[in-house]
Amino acid sequence: MVETLTELTAPAFVRGELIADDLVGFGGRAGTASFLSPDPQRLLTAVPLRDPSRLRDLQTLPFEEIVTYLEALGHALELARNAHLQEALAFSEQFSDMTAPLVRASFEQLPALFASEAVRELADATVGIPYLEDWVPRTMADGRTARVRAFGARTVHVIAGNSPLIAGLSIIRNAITRSDAVIKTPSNDPLTALAIARTMGDLAPDHPITRHLSVAYWKGGDTSFEEHLYQPANVEKIVAWGGFASVTHVLRYVQPGLELISLDPKRSATVIGQEAFSSPETMADVALRTATDVGALNQLGCINARVVYVAAGTDPDGLERVNRLGEAIYDQLHRLPQRLSTRAKWFDPELKADIDGLRASPDFYRVFGGADGEGAVIVSQLAEPVEFHRRLSGRVANLVPIADPAEAAREMNAYTQTVGVYPEALKESLRDVLPLHGVQRLVSLGYAAHPSVALPQDAIEPVRRMVKWIVDESCDPDTTTPLWSEASNDTQAQKEER
Amino acid sequence: MSVVADTLQFGDAPAEYFGHSWYAMQHVPADELAWLQLSTLQRRFSELRDRIPTLQRMASESGIESIAEPNDVVPLLFQHSVYKSYPASLLLRNRFSELTRWLDRLTTLELSAVDVTDCDSIDSWLDRLESETELRVLHSSGTTGTMSFVPRSTREWDEMGKAFRCGLFQYSDPLGTGGRHDGEWFELIWPLWRSGRSAITRFPGMALPYLLGSESRLHALRPGRMSSDAAYLAGRVNVAAARGELDELEINPALRVRREEFEREQREMAESLPRFIDETVRELQGRRIWMLGTWNVLYNIAKAGLEHGLENVFASDSLVTTGGGAKGQVVPDDWEETVQRFIGVDHVQHCYVMSEITAINKMCEHGRYHFEPWIVPFVLDPEDGSPYPREGQHTGRCGVIDLVPSTYWGGLISGDEVTLSFEQCSCGRTTAHAARTIERYSDKQGGDDKITCVAAEEAHRAALEFLTGELA
Repeated sequence: MVETLTELTAPAFVRGELIADDLVGFGGRAGTASFLSPDPQRLLTAVPLRDPSRLRDLQTLPFEEIVTYLEALGHALELARNAHLQEALAFSEQFSDMTAPLVRASFEQLPALFASEAVRELADATVGIPYLEDWVPRTMADGRTARVRAFGARTVHVIAGNSPLIAGLSIIRNAITRSDAVIKTPSNDPLTALAIARTMGDLAPDHPITRHLSVAYWKGGDTSFEEHLYQPANVEKIVAWGGFASVTHVLRYVQPGLELISLDPKRSATVIGQEAFSSPETMADVALRTATDVGALNQLGCINARVVYVAAGTDPDGLERVNRLGEAIYDQLHRLPQRLSTRAKWFDPELKADIDGLRASPDFYRVFGGADGEGAVIVSQLAEPVEFHRRLSGRVANLVPIADPAEAAREMNAYTQTVGVYPEALKESLRDVLPLHGVQRLVSLGYAAHPSVALPQDAIEPVRRMVKWIVDESCDPDTTTPLWSEASNDTQAQKEER
Repeated sequence: MSVVADTLQFGDAPAEYFGHSWYAMQHVPADELAWLQLSTLQRRFSELRDRIPTLQRMASESGIESIAEPNDVVPLLFQHSVYKSYPASLLLRNRFSELTRWLDRLTTLELSAVDVTDCDSIDSWLDRLESETELRVLHSSGTTGTMSFVPRSTREWDEMGKAFRCGLFQYSDPLGTGGRHDGEWFELIWPLWRSGRSAITRFPGMALPYLLGSESRLHALRPGRMSSDAAYLAGRVNVAAARGELDELEINPALRVRREEFEREQREMAESLPRFIDETVRELQGRRIWMLGTWNVLYNIAKAGLEHGLENVFASDSLVTTGGGAKGQVVPDDWEETVQRFIGVDHVQHCYVMSEITAINKMCEHGRYHFEPWIVPFVLDPEDGSPYPREGQHTGRCGVIDLVPSTYWGGLISGDEVTLSFEQCSCGRTTAHAARTIERYSDKQGGDDKITCVAAEEAHRAALEFLTGELA
């Protein structure tokens, strides 16, 4: 661990302005470090956009200007020449759940996230650029002409801190939807959103996109602050990421006029068909891919694999194959590149105790590794996951032998976000069944932790929900029968009578 | 008596070794205690290492052949999760032969000959083990949806009862010079079920021969047995309800024929307070009683009593014993005073209890929990599990080795955070002592799936309602 730096001050960024006075102390996660931020009470008047007509400046921006702005921001976010990100990286040692190589690798992905092709794809695949840009006309069957446009909204983003990319993505979504964002930073990543915002302030302090972004920290659940902020007069939408607690905090404020877009806590799983054992080379490939799904970003994400169902059968031969695969996955975990996966920063001692407990039952569990927090693979010898499978973390997988891949559906529910599948053909048979149990994404094995941000997320399209879909209808009595006319009141029978 | 014989008796029969004096237990000169503990630990290890398969495996994996000093045994302490390291389906699907084989790896008793193939419930399984072996398994409350099973035998229960008796004379014979106090018995007001297999419901059975002397001195507010199946189901109902999966809960079909038993349990739960007020108080008013329970149980009884206008109900030399922590509830400031006022005593004896060990460690007048001498405590680094030096004071995870057990391994790593001192306490006792605040690491971390113990009573009621409703 590097020497503790001087205590961190995380200023608030409010519509292009940096606020760094009236500082009060806040604890980081798990009591590791603390930081100073402005007293939230003092921000209460500045943070909300009380006058909605002030979104007008965003409304008149051409979409291409938004793309150009974000592209330029992406260039400015190159780690080597961005002092704000460098500071965030230096302090991540004290705050992040990730290790430094992973934070660095995440920061290095930021420019690509803001690149013009990526932004255009995101906008077009989620909402459709024409709807973001202007009124899109459509003639309806009853003769009226409707024009539909996606409007921005005043939104609070309660973001998660397990990946710095969430801060970047939230800022992009806010810009393309022409919305006004207040980003509530998490205590395990108080700096990434702030670093991007400060870069925006350096780059274009008066640009409407910069002026419609605020980044602040307050303790989630601080009702004295939240009760005032979360009012329909201030905020129209709340995007809440992550933990059960953060989503539950926010739920109490939801009311007519204030919508919650909840990206709930999730877990992910894996289903591997018996084809994995067709040759030693195939098994090695499957082991590497599974290790990637388990180990990427140190298993901090909801997209990471945890329980891995292996359809090798539960007879002794099948078990022997699953045990071999488990050992191979454990070996591969340690060969993953540093930028993708490292030894976890903190290995949950309660989880370690549970894993060590299983060593007493070799008839039922085979445990590879896990002796000193480096990660582990637990192979169940019966067709059921370990009792603590919801708490697997720190690069720990639980392989569960099953006879038929379809049996995996039993354990899937609305908490199951991603299912990595091998081989491809198996995905085709599972994709019509698993979603009925709650599964939201199926992906080729090895790509679980490599999602495309332009696709639906958690079985919803969050960006479509972040905009307000506004309709302008033109109706001409000559083409669309008016309600006041006799004809519209009469039933068909009455007409025929006449 | 030779020194070797002495040592044997220290671990095998501590009450006799100390002449039935709790004072003596707590005042062994430090050097002598260290020697007694180490030599007994060495003996237990050499006796048990090849007879308990799980210990044997751990010893060979960690390459530990012998114990030169107490900290050497730390790699061999069992995680508390060892006692629930069986797949849940074994219990859910009545696979008791496999469960017996699993349990067999944790005890020296011969379980392989016991035929449990026709057992169709936890109760029937434990009945069978009890009728054919010396095993008297204790299980956890099951509130988290899983159940731990600790293979204690009659021998350890007996020694525990005898040793526990010594401590009950702490006020009437403070220097412990009165020997065995033959013929002196206690009237136990027992707020829970008369019997059962959970650690706590085993208590009356253990206490009866050594502390009560006769069934007539056991005043159980719930006279029947607590079903282990109902307790297990209570935890599962709780967890399923929290996850919104109650509809999917499977019930063991074998329980269907036992509806009357569960209705009786349900009735006893509802009747226990009225029974106490109407019968127990009337019978024992003004007499010396002994009452034992977690704070919330004692507090609820005292409150109900005071509401009925009852105060200072029993003799002032009555005993009140409590332990078990806050149980995830906010403890009212006046709970202890309320209990004292109702019973009519001027103090409550606090204890640090851990169901896996054979000692009930009492708090001294300086607010420190003193371990009984046959418990060797360790403070472990909460992150990597390595032991802190056995001197000074440290805060960390509590590990222990209980030197009484001879049929199972007494080494255990608990889930508790303790602040433990190895220096002599200002009260004069020579045993290691822990500060008042003891927390569970799992509570400190929070966690969405957490269900607290107090919910247990509620959960048990809910489970019985669920069961009797389902079986109607």
